[in-house]
Parts: sequence; structure tokens; C-alpha cells
Amino acid sequence: MDIKNEKVGDFVVVRIDGRIDTTNYTEFEKIIAEVIDGGEKNLVLDCKNLNYISSSGLRVFLITQKRLMGAGGKLHLCTMQPSIKEIFDISGFSTIFKIYDSEAEALSN
Amino acid sequence: MIKVEHLSKHYGDLVVLKDVNAEIEKGEVISIIGPSGTGKSTFLRCLNLLDQPTGGQIIIDGVPLLNKHSNVPKMRQRMGMVFQSFNLYSHLTILENLTIGPVKLLNKTKAEANRKAMELLKLVGLAEKVYSFPDELSGGQKQRIAIARCMAMESEIILFDEPTSALDPTMVSEVLAVIRRLAREGMTMLIVTHEMEFARNISSRVFYMDEGIIYEQGTPEQIFENPKFEKTKAFIHRIRSMRFNITSPNYDLYALQAEMEAFCEKHMISKKVSGRVILLAEELLCLQPDFSNIELVLSYSEKNMSVEFECLSKGNAFNIFENEKTADELGVLLIKGQSKTYNYEYANGTNKITLTIRE
Repeated sequence: MDIKNEKVGDFVVVRIDGRIDTTNYTEFEKIIAEVIDGGEKNLVLDCKNLNYISSSGLRVFLITQKRLMGAGGKLHLCTMQPSIKEIFDISGFSTIFKIYDSEAEALSN
Repeated sequence: MIKVEHLSKHYGDLVVLKDVNAEIEKGEVISIIGPSGTGKSTFLRCLNLLDQPTGGQIIIDGVPLLNKHSNVPKMRQRMGMVFQSFNLYSHLTILENLTIGPVKLLNKTKAEANRKAMELLKLVGLAEKVYSFPDELSGGQKQRIAIARCMAMESEIILFDEPTSALDPTMVSEVLAVIRRLAREGMTMLIVTHEMEFARNISSRVFYMDEGIIYEQGTPEQIFENPKFEKTKAFIHRIRSMRFNITSPNYDLYALQAEMEAFCEKHMISKKVSGRVILLAEELLCLQPDFSNIELVLSYSEKNMSVEFECLSKGNAFNIFENEKTADELGVLLIKGQSKTYNYEYANGTNKITLTIRE
């Protein structure tokens, strides 16, 4: 897993490359926590290069959503691969998160 | 009619037939199926002594074939053999191929042999080829001639050694039709075949050979619909499987998933299903309370084109689908969502979860 952050307007775009699973989800959780702890309230998780996610990774998405909502912020997801989108659908997460087809859309909402 | 007792055949250290036992009644049609290299052809070749058995006994109508004093050539005449590669005499016409044996070995007159040959050629639908040479015939026609030749020798039993495996698929049916006709007429036949539908339809009994023995035998319904043993089942459903043992919570997830992906790729299972398999492996393992002995079995049925996943874990009963700690878990939700069917059972100290993966 490789994570890169970029500040774009009011959002921090977190670009996830690779997989989030039971072996590395804590690392992902830590990176996201650092961004939020640094005062950022609006996040876009760019999932274009996320090619695998298990329930361990999904839980981090959920925790992040709760933290940002609690702080009055936003969490937008974008550019999901169909296999990842299916996992979000199966778990019911598609209805919990705002998922956009493009990064531009995610940033403009 | 034929009784086989403790038949064995070794080639040096290689044991091809370990201990074959069978009884075949007159008029029975026995299909012999099984993976390659399990002794099916060797069994047939031993029956008519084309290969000399290492041990055991073959008894035909009460007469032991392997006794020193037995008239082997005479006994052998009762048993014709049809080979994969036809074995016709290429320098003789079809008529001569059918008459040479009866004239030389059965002391028939040429006229008698010719008359019988014509009858048999009509029976196999090749009367017009009487003066042709084998090379002028297609594979299917050659095989029909080979069958007629066995009958010309007044064989009471015909042994077929993969009679259609050297044929173009378009020619298989014409040969099978002739064998079907012989079955209807009450000919005793033993057929080594990979044509499963044919074996199912034509046989009175099916022998499944494996490990140098008749591993399982029964009616076609028993063998094809309800085989007793796992190996038979795996063969019938053309199941390819792979087992993974996990004995520690610190198992190597990436290595495990890579092996599963390689298995899927090898069997040309779609990327989508392969993705489900590797996710299920992680989710199933995440929910295990006891890592002392876990076995994951990934199986692909070529026949049904379906992938099945089993998770066997030793320990106390723990049903992830109903346990209050796990039933509402995200992992269970994903497992159910990726599976067409899911089942849990507990027996003999082992938890067994069986999943059929969604397409």
C-alpha cells in the first residue's frame, strides 16, 4: 500500500495505491488519523488504484467517516474500481458514503 | 463368466495393478473409468494376456487362465480386443482383414468367412468398403472395422481400450453407435473410456479405477449420481482442488492469496471469481477463534464450472453465521455477499464452513 496526500482547495485528497487488508489497515488508519489530527475536516479518498479491500479496511473508512462527520467535515470517495464498488455495495457501505465517479466531482460537492 | 482375483501387474518397482478383484457376468457392459495412469488399459491387456500379470488369477467360465495347463490361445480367442489405434493390417483389404483370423485360427472355409464378414460389414454399416484398404477409410470407419473383426473371430467378450480417443470428435458417435448396438444384442463388453455420458448410458456397471485397484464400482446411477468416495466424486465432477494448512495466527496472507490466485489462473477461473476467493480466504481466517489447525480447501469443478471453498477448523463448535460476536460482523456480511450458498456444520470436533462462490 502506498498513500499520497495532496491539499486541493478545502479538501485533502488521499490517493490510495494497492491494497488495504488485515496486515496493513493499522498503517492506513494511522495515516488518515494524522491528517485529521492535523486539522483537516474534508477528505477525498481517491480509490482509483485501490485494488483490494477487506473488512479490516472498510472499518477504517467507517471510523474516518464518523470522525469527520462528528467534526462537521466531509468524506468523499471517488474513482472506485468495479470490484471495490461491489464490496461497498455488498456491505451496504455504498449508501453510507458519498461515492463519485471522478475526483473533480468529489472536490466540487 | 469372468472372475478376477487379486490381479497384480508390476513393471520393476512400478506397481500398476495392485489388487484387482471383479466378477463379470455374461451380457454385462462394464465401463472402466478413472484418471490416466491408474491401470485401466493394463487391466484389459492383462485380461487377455497381452501383458502377463505379475500375480492373481483370471478365471473364465470356471477355467483358470493363468494355470500352466490352460489352453491360452483358445481362451484368448473368446476375448477380442479393440485398440485405440485400430491395428488393422494395412496391406490387406477390409474383407481380408476380417477373414484372415477365422480362416487361419478358426479353420473356417474362405466362403464361410467371406459370408460372415459381409454380414458383419453390413452390421457396422460399411459393406460398401469390402474391397477398400484401411488407409482409404476414416478413423471412425477403421474402428468400426476393428470391431467387426473381433466379431468375425466369434469373440464372446470384447475388450475396448479407449476406442474413441484417437478419433476426430465428428467420428466418435459412429463408433459409439456400433458399440451400443452390440450392447443391445447382449455382447459382454469391458470398455475403457473417457466418454462419460456414453459410459453412463450404455453400462450395466461402472468400474472406477484408481491406485491400482477397482476403487469403486456400481451402477451408472451410483457412480455418476452418488459416488461413495471422495476420489470418485472428484473424478466424476472433474474437481481440481488445493489444500492450505494454517496453524498460526501469524500466517502469511500474501503467500496464501498468491497461491490461490495461481490456482484460479491455472484453471482459467475468471478474475472476478478469483478476487472473491482471495477476499473470502482473508475474511474466513479473520473470524477464526482457534488457529491450532485450520485447513482451507479450494475446489473447482470443471463439469459444473463452479468454485467451492471449505474452511475446516478443529476446536469447539463456532458458527460464524450465528455467533453473537460475529454474526453481524462486516466480515460475515462480505462472506455471505460473495457466496452463492453458505453452510456450517460441526462434526467430530471440526467446524466446517462450505461456500459456493458467486459467479
